[in-house]
Amino acid sequence: MESVMSKTATRWPVLIGVAVLAGCAAQTPTAARPAPAPTESAPAAPALPNSAINIPLDYYKLDNGLKVVLSRDTTAPTVTVGVYYHIGFRIEPKGRTGFAHLFEHLMFQGSGNLGKMEFIRLVEGNGGVLNGSTRFDYTNYYQIVPAHVLETVLWAEADRMKALAITQANLANQQGVVKNEVRDATMNQPYGGFPWLTMPQVANTNWYNAHNFYGDMADLDAATLADAQSFFDTYYAPNNAVLVVAGDFDLAAARAWIAKYFAGISARAQPARPDLAEPPQQAEKRNTYVDRLAPRPALALAWQVPPRNTPELFAFSLLDSILLQGEDSRLWRKLVQQRGYAGGVAGGINLLGNEFTYDGPMLWMLYLVHDPAARPEAIIADVDAEIARIQSEPPSAEELDRALTKLRASLYDLAGSSTRFGLVDLLACFALFDDDPAHINRLESEFRAVPPALISEVARKYLSPAQRTVQLVVPGRAPPAPATPGSSP
Amino acid sequence: MTRMIALVACLAATAALADARELPPAPGAPHEFRLPAKESLRLDNGLELTFIDYGSVPKVTLLAVVRTGNIDEGPDTWLPDMTVEMMKEGTATRSAEDIARAAAGMGGELSLNVGAEQTTASLSVLSDHAVAAAGLLADVLENPRFPESELPRVLANFERSLAVARADPGSQADEALAKLEFGDHPFGRVLPQEGQLAGYDIAKLRGFYERNFGARRTHVYVAGRYDRAALEAALRGAFQGWRAGPEPTDLPAKASETAQLALVDIPGAPQSSVRMAVPVPDPASAVYFETTLTNSLLGGTFGSRITSNIREDKGYSYSPDSSIDAHRGGALWVLSAEITAEHTAAALTEIYKEIDRLQHEVPAESELTPVKNYRAGIFVISNSSPNGVLGQLAFMSLHGLPDDFLTRWVANIQAVTPAQVTEIARTYIRPERMTVVVAGDLSKIGASVRALPQFAGIRMP
Repeated sequence: MESVMSKTATRWPVLIGVAVLAGCAAQTPTAARPAPAPTESAPAAPALPNSAINIPLDYYKLDNGLKVVLSRDTTAPTVTVGVYYHIGFRIEPKGRTGFAHLFEHLMFQGSGNLGKMEFIRLVEGNGGVLNGSTRFDYTNYYQIVPAHVLETVLWAEADRMKALAITQANLANQQGVVKNEVRDATMNQPYGGFPWLTMPQVANTNWYNAHNFYGDMADLDAATLADAQSFFDTYYAPNNAVLVVAGDFDLAAARAWIAKYFAGISARAQPARPDLAEPPQQAEKRNTYVDRLAPRPALALAWQVPPRNTPELFAFSLLDSILLQGEDSRLWRKLVQQRGYAGGVAGGINLLGNEFTYDGPMLWMLYLVHDPAARPEAIIADVDAEIARIQSEPPSAEELDRALTKLRASLYDLAGSSTRFGLVDLLACFALFDDDPAHINRLESEFRAVPPALISEVARKYLSPAQRTVQLVVPGRAPPAPATPGSSP
Repeated sequence: MTRMIALVACLAATAALADARELPPAPGAPHEFRLPAKESLRLDNGLELTFIDYGSVPKVTLLAVVRTGNIDEGPDTWLPDMTVEMMKEGTATRSAEDIARAAAGMGGELSLNVGAEQTTASLSVLSDHAVAAAGLLADVLENPRFPESELPRVLANFERSLAVARADPGSQADEALAKLEFGDHPFGRVLPQEGQLAGYDIAKLRGFYERNFGARRTHVYVAGRYDRAALEAALRGAFQGWRAGPEPTDLPAKASETAQLALVDIPGAPQSSVRMAVPVPDPASAVYFETTLTNSLLGGTFGSRITSNIREDKGYSYSPDSSIDAHRGGALWVLSAEITAEHTAAALTEIYKEIDRLQHEVPAESELTPVKNYRAGIFVISNSSPNGVLGQLAFMSLHGLPDDFLTRWVANIQAVTPAQVTEIARTYIRPERMTVVVAGDLSKIGASVRALPQFAGIRMP
């Protein structure tokens, strides 16, 4: 659900990654693994002994309630700015499915002093990149710009926090763009939306967790300017947001600019947050659907994870690392290497982020695309056997150490990344959801504190067959269904 | 339009107040950016090593770039891909599981990737493990075991990937485009034929490896924080015994320069996958800087003309994008867009309009300057991470570019004039030399696309 600028999202690897190497874009293949969710996947799960990293933080609030996190690092003369609003697709109002995401697009369509396209031109024209995205519990907007452009960007973000200025024509235009995004992501490619969009709709029972996050086309079409204004007035208030600035800047100057541009924006009363609780699941759920374009069957399994910020979730995160993350993981060894069911098995806690970047119930999923000869029951039995093994026997010291080493490396990657996206994401979520961005510097010790026995215990408590949801994708051989291709579950 | 002018004027830090709105504060003075220093050396067997000391965290990335890829596969499409995948299945002394565990124990994961002309093996680890990482990387490159027992599984994975690619409208469009552009050259065959992969036995995979891997074709780049003396010694020790192997092959790809149109029928497709491509100057060319800037202005950025038009004005497409896809000795300008079926012909018309306008009207300085700023800014971001620098150096190595390709990048970009951009559009981005692919529901879109004036009398292979 990368928004407006899935453009930059798709271009990043070319600019920054080693993908520059691919000489001819037409010549790629070798996707021997199922495609991951259409976003930054790879849970950037952190950890480590006695805090190998120590992210510098300056955290405060303006009188209007806007949270501000400043983190200075002058390794490169760039600065990353993120504004996160505490409104995501799962908490959008009933009858307005897809509105949180549609609205994210509208935030690029005009504000008090910037007309349509002007925000984008201002950032790109000064040497920066930008994007926004909609996730379970937040919508974010971010830029990476040369360090000397910071004040300009702060002004622009404040301008669109201050006032929305869109026209009926701009709304209609973005309704068209979003509908194309949905077609791109879910209807015009095999396994579109699987399982990041399809699974929550069957594994969850609470409407907030279980509705179509991209939105029903009818709901998208029904959105009006008045709806947009009301949504903005309600949720895009400074007291429902956090501003994160990370990179090369002067602390005093940044604080002064933030006060100058953001302090005058009025706080607004926030509605009560909806109850997101999922009732305990007593029996396995099954869902099967036909994907018109899929040439092979696919299987996904999901379970609810422990509550955020509990020792149980840290233990579950290590469990995920041991079972599912990387080619050394137990399920990779079993399902891919030994059984040969698939070219890869993917998944994790929160496919659209990681175990810290949401604020409510969350699923742990695993999924793979397999051949018809491999029966789902056999694959599930193998998964069950691996779960049973860790339920009855804690991981060895060597295996746990490997998991912690991987976590440590990813924490360094977070701190050392030139885009600082992962860093900004964690700081924003810890500030927005917990009022505690300094949590980032305690992550290591919290992972280290997990006793091996607790890993087995959470496996027993959360990963029983009765608690799981099975989703099966049936390859669509029949002629295309005219109305609802890829029929949603 | 006046709004845009006001904004651009502000970018130039002049104080033209075009209307009553508040103007953005002008940017400050740019901070200094220095490219990280690099040092290179060559072993007796021809293998090159490059060291870059850069970064703020104790991690190091090792990237081995081998000058081979699909260009060396001949008629055996994906033979390099299967060969390289099998290299992960074990070495003389390590099983696949040993490799995965060793890499994970260093905080990394070994990644092998086959490209058109470069194949990479990379491993990013905690600095403490740099020496061990060098050994692991070298072992995988030098001593693959090609275990027969693993081939059926690996083959099945490739067959499955192929089936998925064939079911994907975007892949079908890419395949058709490559065929029209490059014909019988390996670049012209993106996907293998039915049954073809099953013919690649262990002897064939090993043969590809023997013919195409070796020290002379390999350049190992290191970037991050590490003990230089220890890592250099480890790399020398690990690689100096490798056979020199072959020189890189030279098989220039010549892209089509005639107008062609392919329509691929995908019944029921809600969108059409459009690809348009035309040869443009490659990175070694004297006019590459104006070429890449022309792309940014025309379709390569969010604020570009084509994106502004068919996305932000018309809403026909979510993520249209153009890029310059370079291969050694050549490059293509490629536009890709997934377009709502009923707007396919209308979107194509708008794209042609934008190309025509750029060919016939010199863009204003006030439009080009922000595009230059964008590319200069992106340059800093791209070169601000070890991985980014490694990617740039490997790209320069493939295209034989001198160091000043990087050191003079910003100056060269800033020197491009609006007239040069128009000249590039006029000389190269020419519809009469362009290959176009439209993959979609032809029962709905075929007639209107064929009826476009640009396609009158066009070759339809």
